[in-house]
Parts: sequence; C-alpha cells; structure tokens
Amino acid sequence: MSAAQRTNVQPSPPPLSLAEVGQYSWGLTLVFVLASTCWVLLPYTGYLFAALVFLLAIVLAGTRWNRGPVLMMAVVSALVWNYFFIPPQFTLHIDKPQDMVMFSLFFIVALSMGHLITRLRAREAALAQHHQEREHLLELKHRAELLSESERLHRTLLDSVSHELKTPIAIIRTALDGLGLENPYAREIETANRRLQRIVESFLEMTRVESEALEPKPDWCEIGDVLHAATAPIQQELAAHALRMTCATELPLLKLDSRLLAQVLGNLLHNATRYAPAGSDIEIHAALVGDNLQLRVRDHGPGLPLGAEDQLFEKFYRTPDSPAGGTGLGLAIARGLMRAMKGDIEAHTHPTGGAEFVLHLPVKTRSAA
Amino acid sequence: MSKALIIDDEHQMRRLLRMVLESRGYEVCEAAEGQLGLQEAAFHRPDVVLLDLGLPGLNGIEVLKRLREWSDVPVLILSVRDQETIKVEALENGADDYVTKPFGTAELLARLTVIQRRRFTRQSAEIVAGALKLDLLHHEASLDDAPLKLTPTEFALLKVLAEHAGRIVTQNQIIKQVWAGQTSDPSEGLRVHINHLRKKLGTTGPRIVNEPGIGYRLEEA
Repeated sequence: MSAAQRTNVQPSPPPLSLAEVGQYSWGLTLVFVLASTCWVLLPYTGYLFAALVFLLAIVLAGTRWNRGPVLMMAVVSALVWNYFFIPPQFTLHIDKPQDMVMFSLFFIVALSMGHLITRLRAREAALAQHHQEREHLLELKHRAELLSESERLHRTLLDSVSHELKTPIAIIRTALDGLGLENPYAREIETANRRLQRIVESFLEMTRVESEALEPKPDWCEIGDVLHAATAPIQQELAAHALRMTCATELPLLKLDSRLLAQVLGNLLHNATRYAPAGSDIEIHAALVGDNLQLRVRDHGPGLPLGAEDQLFEKFYRTPDSPAGGTGLGLAIARGLMRAMKGDIEAHTHPTGGAEFVLHLPVKTRSAA
Repeated sequence: MSKALIIDDEHQMRRLLRMVLESRGYEVCEAAEGQLGLQEAAFHRPDVVLLDLGLPGLNGIEVLKRLREWSDVPVLILSVRDQETIKVEALENGADDYVTKPFGTAELLARLTVIQRRRFTRQSAEIVAGALKLDLLHHEASLDDAPLKLTPTEFALLKVLAEHAGRIVTQNQIIKQVWAGQTSDPSEGLRVHINHLRKKLGTTGPRIVNEPGIGYRLEEA
C-alpha cells in the first residue's frame, strides 16, 4: 500500500476534520469539568491533586484522540492549574520556587505525555496497517499459486485430451495411406477424417484461446513465410482457387508470431474456399500502415450477410446460408489469436462483391535489404 | 535391410507403423515405453529410431538424451501439433527431424530416407544437394554449374543448410554454426541472409523453407 495512505494515520492539522473539532471541544469541556471538580475538592485535597487529575486526563485523552487536541489539553490544563490552583490563586504568577519547579515539570510531563502517547498510537496503527498489508500480500500470493496450479492442470488436461482425440485420427490417416485412395469409399473416409481433424483442432485451439494460455512469441519473419505456413495445411482446399498475394511495397522484415498469424490466415483462407465458388480468385493484400501490418483477405463469394459483420466473430455463429459442415469457430479463433497478439480483425462486404477480412497487427519492422 | 525401432505408447500406432515399415523392407522392433525403448535400442542396434514425444513415464526428450549418450542412430520424432517448443528441444538434443501426427505415410518414409543417409562426413570437400554444389576448399558455390556469388556469411549459412539437405535445422543450430561467438541478436541477420540466399537461388534451385517457430529446411527442387 502506498506511503500516502500510511501517513493518514497521523492526521495533518489543516484542514480540520469534523472529528478533530469535536475532540478540541471535548478537551476543553473535560478540562473545565475537571477544574470545577478539583476546585470543589481543593480544600480537602490540596492543589497538587488537581495536577495529577489533569495528567491522568491527558494520558487517557492521548489513547483516544489525535495529537492536536491532546497537546491543547496539556497547555490549557497547565494554565488553568497555574491560574486557579497554584497559590497565589487567580494570577499566573508563582510565588514559591518549588511551585515554579512543579509547574514547569507539570508542563513538560503533560506535553511529552500527549506527544508520546499519540506517537505510540501512530506506530500501532502503522503496525496494524503493515500487518494488514502482509496479510493482503500473502493472500495475493496464495491466489496466484492457485491460479498457476489450475492453469497447469488445465494445460495437462488439454494436452491429454488433445492426444486422445488426435491419435485415432492419425491412425485412420496412416491406415488409409496403406489402403490407398483408389477406392472411392476410402476417399470418402479420408475426406471425413480431414474434416474431423479440423474440428478437433478448432475445438482445442478455441479452448487454448479462451484459457488465455496463449503467449505470442514474436520473432523476425518474412510475410512470404507466413503465407507459406498458412497455405501448406490446406493445399487440397485451395487447389480449386487461384490465390494471389500482393504487397503495397516490398515489405521489410516483420517482428511477429508467425505461427499464430499463419493460423489466422489459414482459417480465413479455409473459410474463403468454403464460401466462394470453385475457380474464383482469393486475394491477399499486405501493406504497412504506420506501425501496423495490414492484411486484407478477399474472396469473390456471396459476401457477408448485412449487419452480421461483427456477429461473425462470435463463437458458433454461422451465417443462415452457410454450407453444411464447419463449427462456427474459425473466425472466433482468428479474432482471439489476433487480440492475443494485440491486433484485431474486422470484416465487411467489398463494394464490388465478395467478403473482405482486414487484419491489423502492430509490428516492429526492419529493412530486409 | 534397415532395422527400425518404434518407441510409441499407442499399440495400434505401433502395429500400423510396423506394417508400413515392413512393407518397405524394414526389419522392425518396438517398445511401448521409454526405458524399454532404450533397452531395445542397445540390444537390437537399429538403423533408425521413431520416437513418440508424448510417452508416459520417461518422456521422449529424456529418452533422446540418454540415447545420445552412447548412440548417434538417426532419430525421427513423432509429435502432435502445437508442441513447437518441445520439438525444438528435441531437435537441439539430437533428434534428426520430426513429423507431426497425423502424418502421411509418404512424408514419413521420405523423412526416414533423408535422415538415414550417411551423415555428412568430411571425406570430400564438396557438398552436393540437387543442382547445388558447394566447394568447401575454395569457398565456391554453383547452381546448375553456373557460379553463385555468395558473401562469406551466405556461404556459411548455405553450407549448414546443404549439409542437412532435406532435414530441418533449428534457428539456434544455424546461429551457433554461422554466427558462433557473436553477442548481438543474430536472428534478424539470419532472416536477412536467408532472404538474400533465396533471391540468389532463384525459383529453379533448391528452396529454403521456413517452419514457423522451428527453423529452416533446404528442399531440393
């Protein structure tokens, strides 16, 4: 906790708080009441008794009140004692030297009492606060430990689920390769298996994106390498389309997580192959806009349903006329990944038709020349 | 006949791999677990090892490290996706290459063939990778018998890639061999020189393929 909060324990006088004003008036009242009482008792007790009563009151006040009112009480009671009790009464003058010494001592004791006790209280309060802070820190630490433990568990679970789901798919794939794809039934199994693999990977990736277990690892790369990594796994789907990549100017080296960006691009391209008619072009345009890499992926399909430009990125959202198959996760993953990299993605229908997705990603650049 | 050792905990996967490999003339032995795998490796002295990274008990990396203490048998890693860091760790601990499950049989067999090629030995001062020739004695490179003009760094870089032609080389492995002893961050320089090399190799020569998060592979055209 900040030092500013800690100093609040010792209130600084101006401006006076309402509580402090109350303490001042209670202090004066107390001195008045005690002085009256002692005045009545004076014939029986002597004037030294009054001094002790005042001291006691100051000590007690010190345990409850702030420094200002206590010191005020010390001064006022010293004066009152001098004026009303020390002979000669009703003057501030003191006759006897021993009374003079007594008065000085009273004054010193009262002041230091008030001072010491309020200091003690301030220290106590600081200690209590310190203790509280420690408790707070301990709790935070405990919570962080719990969190990392649950994250570890989550990861382990994800890994084992991933392993369990992918192993049968891998086995089917290998077995199909052994069988050969001449048989049309085998080809159907192969297509279904690829689809299954995509679904499993989408679900796992979505889980990973949502658990925030994603840590982008930016490194220098070329945009061409990213595109290559994006297209390699979906070459079969892309075969029916012409993919064109253009750059505003020759792009420099970019510092970004090429694996994550490739996955985003892969999802967008795969989407395009599903919605755009076979044989149509898919275009990717890359440009640097300020410190941002801007990638536009455009197909020549039917475009996006009006008003759904943002809904598209919601989990499981599927456009009303989307072809069968697909999980409705591809774009949600794309947005999750872009945001994990501090970038974003948006979509619109291109003025001349077809869907266009625009990616923004803050990047560092370095000339590759 | 080559002998292959499969270390994988999935019984069906082992059985399938055995069928695939036996149909290609391999003699196959297998182990379901790391410790057993090491014993099998010591006993059968295989020519190539297929190692699954997700093993129960002694994990794949540990098996690899222990194997490398006494053997330089080529090792192919079988892994699932999204294990880039662990793949890199495996490669830097002596694995020769990897395939990602689910993998195609053709890809698997191609990788096995490449990593089983005699590892580069300095018996000749020439490295040949397809149309590419590197003369280590004179520091000269040629593509389709036409001389390639390379800077010393580019030559060193191409040498590392060509020595491992067809195999993945991690970024760190390249940097260690080409930029040994330099303190500044050479990962940027690596990209720049790769870029230059690609231009000089053109579209007809071998391609330098990047695998994000892992490294580079020189693929013969």
